[in-house]
Amino acid sequence: MLLSRLPYRVQIPLGLSLAVVIAAALVTAVAAEIFARTARSDTLTTVDRAARLLGAQALPLLAADDIWRVFALLRNTAAFLPGAATGQARAAVLDSEGRVFASSAPQLLQTARSLLGQTVSGQLLPPTNAVTQRLRMDRPDGAIALIEPLRSEDGQVLGYTYIEVDAPVFAADWTALTRPALIGVGLAVFLLVPVGWWIGRRMTAPVLSVARVIERIGRLDPAELRRELPRTKDPELGRISAAVDQLISELQVREQAERRALSAERMAAVGRITAAVAHEINNPLGGLLTAMQTLSVHGGSEETRKRTLDLLRRGLNQIQTTVAALLPQARIEDRALEIDDFADVVTLAHPDLAHRNVQLTTQVDVESAMRVPSAVLRQVMLNMLLNGVSAAGEPGTVHAELRADADRLVFSVAHAGRDLTQDGLDTIVAAESGDDPRGFGLWVCREIATQYGGGFDVDSHHGKGTRLVFWMPNRETHEEPAAD
Amino acid sequence: MYVTKTKPPGRGVNRRNLLKGTAALVAAPRMAVAQERLRIGLTAVILADQAAFLARWADYLSQRLAARVNFMSRDQYQAVHELLSNGQIEAAWTCGYPYVRFQPQLQLLAVPLYKGQPVYQSYLIRPLGGEVAVRGWADMAGKVFAYSDPLSNSGWLVAQGEFASAGIAQKDLKRSFFAHGHRNVAEAVASRLADAGSIDGYVWETMRLQGMPGALQTEVIWKSRLHAFPPLVAAAGTDPARLEVLRRVLIGMPNDEVGRMLLKSLNLDGFIAGQPSMFDSIRQLARSVPGSGVVA
Repeated sequence: MLLSRLPYRVQIPLGLSLAVVIAAALVTAVAAEIFARTARSDTLTTVDRAARLLGAQALPLLAADDIWRVFALLRNTAAFLPGAATGQARAAVLDSEGRVFASSAPQLLQTARSLLGQTVSGQLLPPTNAVTQRLRMDRPDGAIALIEPLRSEDGQVLGYTYIEVDAPVFAADWTALTRPALIGVGLAVFLLVPVGWWIGRRMTAPVLSVARVIERIGRLDPAELRRELPRTKDPELGRISAAVDQLISELQVREQAERRALSAERMAAVGRITAAVAHEINNPLGGLLTAMQTLSVHGGSEETRKRTLDLLRRGLNQIQTTVAALLPQARIEDRALEIDDFADVVTLAHPDLAHRNVQLTTQVDVESAMRVPSAVLRQVMLNMLLNGVSAAGEPGTVHAELRADADRLVFSVAHAGRDLTQDGLDTIVAAESGDDPRGFGLWVCREIATQYGGGFDVDSHHGKGTRLVFWMPNRETHEEPAAD
Repeated sequence: MYVTKTKPPGRGVNRRNLLKGTAALVAAPRMAVAQERLRIGLTAVILADQAAFLARWADYLSQRLAARVNFMSRDQYQAVHELLSNGQIEAAWTCGYPYVRFQPQLQLLAVPLYKGQPVYQSYLIRPLGGEVAVRGWADMAGKVFAYSDPLSNSGWLVAQGEFASAGIAQKDLKRSFFAHGHRNVAEAVASRLADAGSIDGYVWETMRLQGMPGALQTEVIWKSRLHAFPPLVAAAGTDPARLEVLRRVLIGMPNDEVGRMLLKSLNLDGFIAGQPSMFDSIRQLARSVPGSGVVA
């Protein structure tokens, strides 16, 4: 419907205006119908009175056989009949034999014409002996004929009065009704439609205010929005305003909760970063401390001292690179991965291997020059190795393997300890749990793989235990990891 | 005064009283004090129901007769003649037929001049363009006929003579009735209450002249021979001198402006004294009609 497509602020006033017009039209129609019904009753009453008057006046004239005076009486009396002016009603006085003594319309009811017992205007009138009292005959088309005997004082029938009223007289004069009806409807429209429109606008104004408030929730100060909410005594609008007010309050609470949650999340993130950094720094520290101890015990040997110092340098460089990654301003030049880096990682893991009684086997299969950044890969390899040592069980075995070709570099750690599925890995990585040290290492590996366009997954074809595989493109042009 | 109540009524014209009355009439009519009353009955021979005209005419006559003149209209000739015989009126404008019928009880006062002649005709009229074909008296069998008055020459007597001539008896008519006046006859025929009617030709022509629907909606299909115009009469015992004064005033009406205006309203040219023999045609007709009351 067209009305439902219109804006609410137009719908209500327009609806009220239409209601006014429809109401005016209905009232007019009902009034016209009532008028039409009462018109017939009024007409019959008038005919009845005319018949009584005619009978009383005509009786002595009929007795005197005075046609002219009866005619004059009929002319005057018939003028009172509805429709007589338009020739749709006529009266006659009949003699005792039912013939027209005189009539108000001699052309239709000719003098001396026999009526009673004859067909008149398509209707058979009763014979004289059947008319003993007033008789009204309703014709199918709505016309009526009224016959009443005229009696002398001693009851002798001297004649009859006869009145015919044609059907159109009883029909409502719709043409005459149309003009006042149109005037009434016009006045109603002219006077009430503006009023209806104005009332409609007043009715919709609070609703529109509420709508404006709802539109600006979240963009405007709640206190200001509350001030703009309409104050009304209307119960329905009052409920709407109260609901909107409650909505504003709940949104306020929610915003505060979100701010608190965001703050807590930030704090948690800071904590996780701190833990991760601590983890990444702590990983090589064990090996470096062992190297320091080795240096202090076997530092006399030039070779041992040199190899230990190289190990210390590379380990500290790894820590420096890890810390630098947290500093936006820092741009540490990272060298490409070397075979020695893999050896360093194995060396740095030794304390844990020894502590957990884990046997480590390694395999290096490098077919092409490695162009991946050393600090990042050392971080990944150390994390994966320590994770594998941790998960391998006691005693256990861990196999670390580094492969590189022209396209990619793959590092994997396999053990026969606890099983870890791909879903389990994804859960651990997604959880970013600060409670699980293992989680930090694996999360860092996944993040690095993602940032460098590689992958970090569980080898689903591995047998008992778990094999974690890290790979990344073997190229120098990969994107720098985000500093922040 | 030319008439006193103490003076017994005389049959002939008293020259002395006539001279006295004439002198009074000629000398100063407006100075006379109306002490006597003169009542004149009117019938349907004229269109006499115009109160303003009758008041002017009565005033005219009162001034010239030194008497208070009143007109008393009755729609039936019989009623007027009863008033006359009872002495309730002094004169009456009646019809030629009742004049000849009651001639022994009446004396002729004056006869109007219509179109310069003291004669008129009876008309047979029918509705103008009527569906019922009535072309003459012979067509009236099975029809409804309207008479004017049972004492009317033009409105009854003439019709009776013509019906008899046409071989139409009253029982051959479907219905007949009296309309109590020539004007009513015209209206009865115009409204088709009657298929035809017998009417005073002067009245019909005057109605037509005045644009009355009764005349405009009817047409004349037959005219009678000329008969003496309906006369003004007085009771036989009325003082002739008094009558003579009235007669002369009537005859003198064309001589003054007011009188001419009144005559014009009546559609008449004047009055003459007239002679009873002028009504012989009516008398003969009445004698030929059974039940007319006029015997040979």
